[in-house]
Amino acid sequence: MLLDGRVALVTGGSRGLGRAICQVLAREGARVAFNYLRSETEAEVTLASLPGDGHSAHQVSVLDKAGLVELAKMLDTKHGKIDILVNNAGHGQVVPLALMEESDWDQMIDTHVKGAFLATQAVLRTMVRERYGRVVNVSSLAGVKMMQAPVHYATAKAALKGFTESLAKEVGRYGITINAIAPGILDAGVSDHLPPARREEYLRHCALRRTGTLDEAAEVVAFLASSRSSYMNGATVVVDGAV
Amino acid sequence: MDCTSCDASSGLPARQDKPHTFFAHEKSSCPDCDAPIEARVVLRDGGVDQLLLCPTCGARERHVSDDAAAWVKSFLARGIAPDGLVGDHLFKHTTSTCPQCLALVEAQVVIRKGAVYFLKDCVRCGPSEALVSEDASYYVKAYSFARAGTEPLKFRGTVEHGCPTDCGTCDDHEQHTCLPIIEVTDHCNLECPICIVDNQYSNHMDPATFAKIIDGLVEAEGSCESVALSGGEPTSHPQILELIAIANRPEIGRVVLITNGIRLGKDRAFAKKLKELGVYIGLQLDGFTPEVHTAIRGRDLVAEKDAALAAIRELDLPTQLIFVATRGVNEHQIGQVVELFLSGPQFLSLNFQPVAHTGHGGGTLPHDPMDRLTIPGVIRRIDEQTGGKVNYTDFFPLPCSHPQCVSLTYLLRLDDGSNVPFARFVDFEKYSTLLRSSATLPATAEVEDALQDVIHEVFARQDEIERGPEILAALRRSLDEMFPAKPLSARDQVRASERQSKSIFLHHYMDRHDFDLERLRKCCHHYPQIDGRIMPACGFNMFHRGAAKGPNTPRARFGRAPFSLPVIA
Repeated sequence: MLLDGRVALVTGGSRGLGRAICQVLAREGARVAFNYLRSETEAEVTLASLPGDGHSAHQVSVLDKAGLVELAKMLDTKHGKIDILVNNAGHGQVVPLALMEESDWDQMIDTHVKGAFLATQAVLRTMVRERYGRVVNVSSLAGVKMMQAPVHYATAKAALKGFTESLAKEVGRYGITINAIAPGILDAGVSDHLPPARREEYLRHCALRRTGTLDEAAEVVAFLASSRSSYMNGATVVVDGAV
Repeated sequence: MDCTSCDASSGLPARQDKPHTFFAHEKSSCPDCDAPIEARVVLRDGGVDQLLLCPTCGARERHVSDDAAAWVKSFLARGIAPDGLVGDHLFKHTTSTCPQCLALVEAQVVIRKGAVYFLKDCVRCGPSEALVSEDASYYVKAYSFARAGTEPLKFRGTVEHGCPTDCGTCDDHEQHTCLPIIEVTDHCNLECPICIVDNQYSNHMDPATFAKIIDGLVEAEGSCESVALSGGEPTSHPQILELIAIANRPEIGRVVLITNGIRLGKDRAFAKKLKELGVYIGLQLDGFTPEVHTAIRGRDLVAEKDAALAAIRELDLPTQLIFVATRGVNEHQIGQVVELFLSGPQFLSLNFQPVAHTGHGGGTLPHDPMDRLTIPGVIRRIDEQTGGKVNYTDFFPLPCSHPQCVSLTYLLRLDDGSNVPFARFVDFEKYSTLLRSSATLPATAEVEDALQDVIHEVFARQDEIERGPEILAALRRSLDEMFPAKPLSARDQVRASERQSKSIFLHHYMDRHDFDLERLRKCCHHYPQIDGRIMPACGFNMFHRGAAKGPNTPRARFGRAPFSLPVIA
C-alpha cells in the first residue's frame, strides 16, 4: 500500500475533508492520528471508520501550541517518528467584508494559518531528525484564483500557498517536502455554507460540470503524503475539475 | 573554498580557491633525475598528486592515487601505533631544522607512548629529538581537517629556490594572509625572556611607509578581517594613533593593537583615543602573579596588567587576551585566564600560544624540547582547571591554517550571560565552515547557511542537548542581530557577530625544535615587510627576521640564512 509503515497526523480530522483524508491515509496503510476541537462524537465516528490499527483521536486546538507539542512528542514516543502532517483544520464562513467583524477575521486567519504554523513546528523536529517528512497543506481554489469567496477565507488559503512554498525551500534539505492542494467546491465540508447561486456559477465554469467529492481531494493528499511524490516540493495542486 | 575569516565584502575583489587541497609533505624523488626531494602532497579532482621542485629539473608532478578518500584513510591509518608496541612507531616524514645550526634536516615523525616526536640527525651537529604533540590521536586526526586554501589577489614573490627561501609569499604558498601582523616599531618598554622578536631599538616605522604597507596588503588581499599592529611595543611608537587612523579603512574589518598593556593602564587619555578609533586590544596576559610575570616578561607586572584590565572594562574596549603558555611557569594559571575571559563581554577571544623558543628571548630561555606544552597539553589543562566548563572535546583543528597550527572552540553566549561551547551542539566535523574563521563568526552567506543547519539540528534534538531550549533562544537572538531587516555595514556586521560568541584559540608558533616545513607552507599569519613582501610568521621569525627592517638595522642573531644549507636526505 501507498503508506505502509507511515505515521500521519491530520489536523481537523473529525469530519468533512479531514475525515476523508484520515480514511484514505488509513486505507493506504498509515497509522493515523488526528486532532479535533469540539465534536467528540464526530471524532469517534471517524476513528471507528479507520481501517487497521494504531489510530488515535486527540482533542486539542490547532491554536494550542503546548498541546500540539505534547501531542507530537506523544506520537513520536509511541511510533518513533511522524512521517506525515496534513494541515487541514479550518472552517468556512460566508460574510462580506462590510459586515466582517475583527473577530471573524482573526478566527479565520488564526485557524488556517497560525494553526498550520503551530502544527508544523510541533512535528518538524521529528521530521528533521529523521530526515524525512511529508507536509500537505489544504489550501483552496479561492486561495490561488480570483473568485467570489469570502475575503478572509481567500486570504487565509492564499497564505497557506505562501507558507507551502517558503517552507519547502527552508526544509527541503532535510528530505521534507511541503505541498498543498487547492480543491474547488466539494460536495461536503466547508462548501456546506455556500449559497446555491455560487455553487451554480461554479458548475457553469467547471469542465466536469460537477462538484468534487471529499474522497477525490483526499486521494491527492494521499499521493502527496507518499514517497511517490518525492520530487514534488512547494507545489500547490489544484483539484477543481478544471474551472 | 574561500576563507571565511577574510571573506570579501560585496564590491571588493574576491580571492580564488587554490586548485587543490594541500595535505602534507612526504619523501619522494624527481621523476626525471631521481634526486631525492620532498614532495608537496595535494588532493585534487578526487585524486592525489605530488608537486615537486627539483633543484636540477625544476617543477615536476607525480600522480599518486585516483582515490583521494582512500588515500587519506590509509594515511590516517599509518598514525595508529600497533597495540603493545615498545619503541617508536613511524608515522611520516617532514622537513624540520637542526636545533643547533638551523639547517633544514629530514625529520621522522614518530609516535611514542601516545605522543608525537621529531627525530632528526644533522650531519654537522648530530641527532636530536623534540616533542611535537602531547596527543598522537589529536595530531593524526588533525590531518583529516585539511581544506583547500585560497590565493591572494597578488603574490609577492616567485618560486626560485623553494620554501622557506622564497618567502614573500610565493605562488607555492598554500594560504593567503588571514592575519597580517605589522611590526611598527622595534622599540619596547620590556625585555621579555620569552620574546620571539629581537628588538634593535633602531626604528619607528614612519606613517608613509606604514600606509604603503597597508596599500600593498589591500592590493594583495582585497580585504582583511583584521590587521594587527605589533612591535616591539606598538604603544611606544610616537605616532601610533596616526598609524591606526591609516589602517582604519573600509577594506579592513578591525585594527588590533598587540600590547603589553602598560601604557593602556596608565594613560587613560590614550586609552580613550583607542576607543574613539575603534581599535581592538590584543592584551598579553600570561599570568596573575609576580613570579609568573617575572619569569615570562622580566618583571612583576601585576599592577600594570590590573590597570590595563580596568581600562578595558571601563571603556568597554573589545579585547583579545593572549596567554603564552610555558611549561613549569604559568601552566597552572591557564584555568584562571579562561575564567577571566568568560567573565566580561569585552573579552572576545582568548589566544593561547604555547611558547616558541626562538628569537631574542625565547631562543635562550631555559627549556627542555622533550618536555614542553603543545596544543593538546594546553587544552587538557583548560579542561582540568575549569572543571570541564570548557573541555578537551570542545576543541578542533582550524582548517584555515595547517591543522597542526591552530586549535579552537567557539562559545555561544546564552541570554543569561553564560557561555556554551559550540561543540556541545554542533558537529564540527560536519560543519567545518564554522571553524574557518579567525576570531568571531563572520556574517557571510556561507556561515548563515551553516547556522541554519545547526539551528535545525538543535531544534530537532533540543531535548537531548543540555540547555537545548536556551541554545535555541540564543541562536534566534544571533540571527536577529546578525541579519536584521536593515542591512548592516561591514563593520557593524563584525560587531554584531562579536556579540554572539567568543572564541578560544591555541596557536603554536614553531621554533628550531618543532619546525615543520609542511606547516609553514600553509601559514596564514603573515608579517608584511617594508619591501612589499608578506612573510609567513614562523618562516620570518626563524629565518628572515632582521633582514628586512630599516637600513640601519643590524641583522638579528637568529636572522641567519640556514636555507642555503642542503636538506639532509
